[in-house]
Amino acid sequence: MRYSVKLFTVLGVFFVVMSAIYTFWGLNYLPDRFEPVGIVGLLLSALFFWFIAGYLHVTERRLDPAPEDDPRGNIEQIQGDFGFFSPHSWWPLVLAFSAALLFLGVAMGWWIFAIGAFIGVPALIGWTFEYFKGQHAN
Amino acid sequence: MVAVGTMVWLASELMFFAALFAMYFTLRANVPEQWAANSPLLDVRFATINTGILVISSVWCQLGVWKAEAGQVGRTGGLLEFKKWGMREWYVLTYIFGSIFIAGQVYEYAHLVHEGVTLSSDSYGSIFYLATGFHGIHVTGGLIAFLLILGRTFTTRRYTHAQATGAVVTSYYWHFVDVVWIALFFTIYVLQ
Repeated sequence: MRYSVKLFTVLGVFFVVMSAIYTFWGLNYLPDRFEPVGIVGLLLSALFFWFIAGYLHVTERRLDPAPEDDPRGNIEQIQGDFGFFSPHSWWPLVLAFSAALLFLGVAMGWWIFAIGAFIGVPALIGWTFEYFKGQHAN
Repeated sequence: MVAVGTMVWLASELMFFAALFAMYFTLRANVPEQWAANSPLLDVRFATINTGILVISSVWCQLGVWKAEAGQVGRTGGLLEFKKWGMREWYVLTYIFGSIFIAGQVYEYAHLVHEGVTLSSDSYGSIFYLATGFHGIHVTGGLIAFLLILGRTFTTRRYTHAQATGAVVTSYYWHFVDVVWIALFFTIYVLQ
């Protein structure tokens, strides 16, 4: 995980350097057509990478040294439990369909939005509670 | 894994709001006269109080997270003994503060529409409602997430690790939305 932190930090630094060059270029060569969007966009791209780098850094300090940071590490050391992943679920499909109707409703007419909400509410509840009810409830 | 995925998604959300900030600054640079005409209509004092409510809700949320991490889901004392509150009580309080913020936003919109600032009145109106509106939708989404997370706590007799993780990542989202609002507040109300 240490190398992931380094990778995302360096990518953030890259965007800070780019935004400095962009600002310098804009002020010196195109002063009459100066625009701030690129500067904002590039600086926030740097934040985008540092956001992930910062989180990985904080997580790394709480965990044992990761096998991928050990130069003598082997592939099999990384095997194990990575967390819970749903093996099979229909809810995302229903939820996505209702979301499509909701957005279509905003563009086309609010009656479609109402149908989307009618499907979306049970889909959202079904999806979030799928592994917290029935045989999963304890 | 849930926490890492949430953080990567929130980073992408940051880029979504980056686009809105970029739009705001472009329009601000190109039609400054619209800002001069519309900015005085903003009620900065009201917005400051509303911002305070949202920031405080993040504090309540974090107190709830610490209770969730300690595995304490419900209160162990009376309703007013807030030192003995569990994750549920703090999340309900966060929910109430978040709802007050949204109500304040709606009140402010009504006030501005009355003054003639609408989504289609001019560029200022468009970006004002797009930026604050998308943020408002995010806060509303967070409120729905709080309801679902609270609902989940009632599905098991013992508070499980999966439930605590859900509560923690919802707080990540809530803090993120809070920080985005501070940036929006500073841009729209303070810098104008």
